Amino acid sequence: MDPIARQEPARQDTDEGLIRRILAGDETALGTLYDRYGGLVYSVANRILRDTGAAEEVLQDIFHQLWRAAAGFDAARGSLSSWLLVMARNRSIDRLRRRDLASAGDPMDLMPASGFNLENEAARNEMVAQVRRALGSLPEGQRQAMELAYFEGLTQTEIAARTGDPLGTVKTRLRTAMATLKKAFES
Amino acid sequence: MNGHPQFAEDFELYTLGVLDGDDKAAFEAHLAVCAECRRELEGTRSRASLLGLAAVQASPRPEVREQVLDRFRVDRRAKQPLQAPTAARYRRSPWTPLWAAAAVVLLVAAAWLERENRRLEAGLAQLQATHVQLEASSRELEEESARAQAALDVLTAPETIQVELAPVAARPVPHGKAFYNASKGLLFYAADLPALAAGHTYELWLIPSEGAPIDAGLFNADLRGNGEVILPALPRGLTAKAFAVTIEPVGGVPAPTGPKVLIGPVS
Repeated sequence: MDPIARQEPARQDTDEGLIRRILAGDETALGTLYDRYGGLVYSVANRILRDTGAAEEVLQDIFHQLWRAAAGFDAARGSLSSWLLVMARNRSIDRLRRRDLASAGDPMDLMPASGFNLENEAARNEMVAQVRRALGSLPEGQRQAMELAYFEGLTQTEIAARTGDPLGTVKTRLRTAMATLKKAFES
Repeated sequence: MNGHPQFAEDFELYTLGVLDGDDKAAFEAHLAVCAECRRELEGTRSRASLLGLAAVQASPRPEVREQVLDRFRVDRRAKQPLQAPTAARYRRSPWTPLWAAAAVVLLVAAAWLERENRRLEAGLAQLQATHVQLEASSRELEEESARAQAALDVLTAPETIQVELAPVAARPVPHGKAFYNASKGLLFYAADLPALAAGHTYELWLIPSEGAPIDAGLFNADLRGNGEVILPALPRGLTAKAFAVTIEPVGGVPAPTGPKVLIGPVS
């Protein structure tokens, strides 16, 4: 075997391995992570902001944040894909509602503990399908309440005001929906 | 409320920012006193974030990728090396310990001088004979003490600025980019390459998915460190696994022998 090929990395780089290479200044590794997750981050931001330019800015900011905070990344603590989704949602909601969910403190503090791992493309696609199936299976009122909560960043009182339903009904819908989704994600 | 939340789903709803009013206040009041629930809350973040996957998949413009990488390059150049997990995270300015040491020395000196001064002053009363001589010493010590104090003032005043100095030019890190199309050919550009000693050349290799590296052309770095290989003669239809650059004797070699300068796997 020739000397160069022997040092080739495995076909599928792990997120953790890529982060390590980014810390060493490796631009290709950042490109690989971007190709892996850029679309997810952008899709969340675009759905929340409904503005492609603003969504692209959020996307850029998050990847900027990613390598600046990369030293604090700890694969044992959580998954990068979870962190990126949390950041994408919180940053976009901050922007939409001028709230401050994401900016305080060390961004790696938002790293969800024991998150799911989406570094494998097939797992990613499977998870997307699973989440859509689960949301799609909810009764209309529950689905709408969850979407207003997640994608518009509304509180329960704000959702009640928006839909005209009593606050108690909204709370029940949100809790029931969340319980159903939890069960679906755990299965 | 001091009991655990009545509804398990409240953790997710709190994470999403849905709780408000009394519900939020009660939840936070309980979190403040319950470590178990704080841990539970950590675990809910990832589940809640999964909802983002329901967003319709959209793609940013291709330019955004280049912008992200450009920003990385700029950052990398500006503060190389990037924060490394352990070393750089705790790296401090090499001057910091020096200032700290200087401050300690000055503090000790000032305290010692102060005490010495007092001792000498007490001695003055007893030793009338050496009065004149000791007074001179005391003045001298007072002056030194004042100077130490003035130096300390500079170091400790809040409005004092601190400026770090570094070597004039950091040596740039070589990097390269290959554009490869199995049926149309290969373009390769490199920058910030060091000049080679006489008798040597850079050699670009295409590492196919199977088999030995294939010579993809020789090139040299110009005065600014730039080098390129444009459309070298290559067998068509090769699947590339990686590209690499080595340093070889002038004229090139059929298989890499010299040190690798650049390598890039196909992602």
